[in-house]
Amino acid sequence: MQEMLQYLFSGITNGAIYAVIAIGFSMLYNSTDLINFAHGEFVMLGALCMVTFFGTLHLPIVLAILLAIASVAVAGLVFERLAIRSVKNPEPIVLIIITVGASIFLRGIGMILWGKDAHTIASFSSHPPLDIAGAKLLSQSIWIIVILLLTAVGLQLFYKKTLTGKAMEANAISKRAAWIVGIPSKLMIMLAFGLSTAMGGLAGVIIAPITMSSYDMGTMLGLKGFCAAMLGGLGSLWGALIGGFLLGILEAMGVGFVSSGLKDATAFLLLLFILYVKPGGIISSASVKRF
Amino acid sequence: MSTELPLLKIETVDKAFGGIQALSDITFALNPGSITGLIGPNGAGKTTLFNLISGVFPADKGEIIFNGAGIENIKSHQLVELGIARTFQNVELFESMTVLENILVGQHTRTRCGIWGSILRFPGVIAEEKKAREFALELLDFVGLKGHADKTSGDLPFGWQRLLEIARALASRPKLLLLDEPAAGLNIVETMQLGDLIRKIRNQGITVLLVEHDMSLTMEISDWIVVLDQGKKIAQGSPRTVQADEAVIAAYLGTAGKKE
Amino acid sequence: MNNHQTRNRICYTVFLLIILLVGYFLENLYYIQVLTFIGINTLLALALNMLMGYAGQISLGHAAFYGIGAYGTAILTVHYGFSPWLALPAAILSAMIVAYIVGIPTLKLSGYYLGMGTLGFGMIVNILFREWSSVTGGASGFIGIPALELGPISFASGRNYFFLVWGFVLIGFIACQRIIDSRIGRALRAIHDGENAAAAVGVDTRQLKLQIFVLSAAISALAGFLYAHLVYFISPGSFSFIASIRMVTMVVIGGMASIWGALLGASLLTLLPEWLHAFSEFEMVVYGLILMVVMIFLPRGLTRGLLDIYERTRKKNEH
Repeated sequence: MQEMLQYLFSGITNGAIYAVIAIGFSMLYNSTDLINFAHGEFVMLGALCMVTFFGTLHLPIVLAILLAIASVAVAGLVFERLAIRSVKNPEPIVLIIITVGASIFLRGIGMILWGKDAHTIASFSSHPPLDIAGAKLLSQSIWIIVILLLTAVGLQLFYKKTLTGKAMEANAISKRAAWIVGIPSKLMIMLAFGLSTAMGGLAGVIIAPITMSSYDMGTMLGLKGFCAAMLGGLGSLWGALIGGFLLGILEAMGVGFVSSGLKDATAFLLLLFILYVKPGGIISSASVKRF
Repeated sequence: MSTELPLLKIETVDKAFGGIQALSDITFALNPGSITGLIGPNGAGKTTLFNLISGVFPADKGEIIFNGAGIENIKSHQLVELGIARTFQNVELFESMTVLENILVGQHTRTRCGIWGSILRFPGVIAEEKKAREFALELLDFVGLKGHADKTSGDLPFGWQRLLEIARALASRPKLLLLDEPAAGLNIVETMQLGDLIRKIRNQGITVLLVEHDMSLTMEISDWIVVLDQGKKIAQGSPRTVQADEAVIAAYLGTAGKKE
Repeated sequence: MNNHQTRNRICYTVFLLIILLVGYFLENLYYIQVLTFIGINTLLALALNMLMGYAGQISLGHAAFYGIGAYGTAILTVHYGFSPWLALPAAILSAMIVAYIVGIPTLKLSGYYLGMGTLGFGMIVNILFREWSSVTGGASGFIGIPALELGPISFASGRNYFFLVWGFVLIGFIACQRIIDSRIGRALRAIHDGENAAAAVGVDTRQLKLQIFVLSAAISALAGFLYAHLVYFISPGSFSFIASIRMVTMVVIGGMASIWGALLGASLLTLLPEWLHAFSEFEMVVYGLILMVVMIFLPRGLTRGLLDIYERTRKKNEH
């Protein structure tokens, strides 16, 4: 029981991180119909920026977090401006190769800037772990879950209450119609890229204290985030949350009761399963383009 | 008309998209070796019916019987094998391929060579290829594109592309040819030539179903006309009877008796 | 068309002559070895190009089939004492079976989902290589793969292996060229130009894509076999995500839907690390930049892209 609870805690913690990554995928997909294969690399950048700002430079925690997220968002905007917008022929196969290229490129940059070693930093706060029925819940886990929930609520308010958020949603529904009523579509796409990569950066920032951050961490996290997004239904905010937690918990149980070697395989098997069987996600009824 | 068994029978077919009833209770038949024109004002359901017959989506209710067998659950590529070929409203050629190659692809279901055959080039494969090329050249001649075999199909003028698309459809040796607005985008001379070609096709024994906006062409070449309006069949008969039909005139002029 | 065939014949004869001349007269064994690697990569690029370039289906997990070929022969020869020449068809067949089973659901996907699906598949196979250590040797790799021998001929010497690999490349080229020029190839190009129209003329697009996927897996597995018996030691790292991306990069550089492009792409990507000193640090940055820049500016690949630019500037100068 105690063991089970421990796995559940670790599953929820990882799940919250997958959810943040999944939200990034979904936001971009909503506004641009694009799936960014480099999204995981922005998570990596967020974590490593955090390592530098908080771990090495010892900036105050809030400043470090904001700086890290801002740096990643800037990288995302540069990527959109230089690579994505220059594509004359935006077919999926072209955009896949470009974003995959970007992911490899960012990975290489990460390796050159931060080296091949893994880095760790301290938790956001130094409270001792909570003891719940014998299982330990790290203070960072609580931070992660709180930040996830705040972000989700914040985004919901942004999309439903602010003019910019509504404009983005309108643009997502029909670019042409949005353009006719005077919503600048280019700006909206940039904003979507900025927000989506900022979410990636945020995921990196909150994961940095509980993992070994290194240049090659992104691909795996990106894929898992994508898997979570697909599980909950790509494009849905709350779906991303549910998908993230579901994946995290399933994965943790897999580690606990089957084999730790299979941890990463769980996500991919789930991903293939969902792609093959129910590509609209388990909770949404939206259909996804298949064949 | 005749007492022959119809080649294609549409029986009490319904189709709805969401809440919109695109087709309701459509019944008619195509006699072998005839040209049937399917006409109707915009939104009458012509394209929906065309897509039902060519297997793009299934009907909600009713039967489509081709050559004595139901074809509701058959995918579009299998229809070609059965003998139904189609063209597209806005011409969908394989633009990077040559004129000849387009017709060769058209013969896909009538040739057999697979991966191993193509690698090892068995004598049978070479013979099949040779025959396919000969037939393709014959077809080019038939539609009036002789001498253009090696041009890239995407570079042809639009009128020729249309002819090539018809040749490509004929390459599968169909029993039934479905033409989706073949005169769209053609000038008067080209439309007349097209009319002659469609007659020539019919004279080869191929049944033609023509969905067309161009009234004069349809009335001139069709043996039988079916008129749709707002998803219902409002008239059918020889061109002359249909032209005199009051419901048809009303539908086209948008006047009396349409409120239900 | 006959012109086309004669031209192909001349090309392949010249190609054969070059292989023979280089194989006999190139003194430096190191270069022979580099050329052998180029040959193996050419097979990989050819395999993926059939799928990406001609069938228009992306795969971001193709290193899995390369790995199945390599691990297949390693396991069969070392654990079960198979002759490598028996292990070769067995390894290729396993890759084909896996491709068939995976291909049925995967090729129903399109666009981004196909990319993610193949990526996930590649990752799972790589995890399998890494974690199933009792069979594959795990992360530390698989040692002791035997050298190839055929009667009195030993392929341990670099020169003979060179001929073996390039012999397969030549056969692969001719086979693929013939497929492309045949009924199957025309149907493939038809799918590429328009999937709806292809179905409307009776092409069973699903089945055809599956066939090409299986063919592509077979060629990749052949390359894996050749790689394993060349280096005697394999590890999961050679068949990872990066390896899949390297294959995509080769295809993209060489130009999609171009058989000779496979040779160009493979050569450039094998030689690049040789030319650029301290390349390994920058390997990923360079691949990433190549992928982005080529796709943005020369989406038809380097060869055709440069030709297009040449044509355009020439026309401009004429005005």
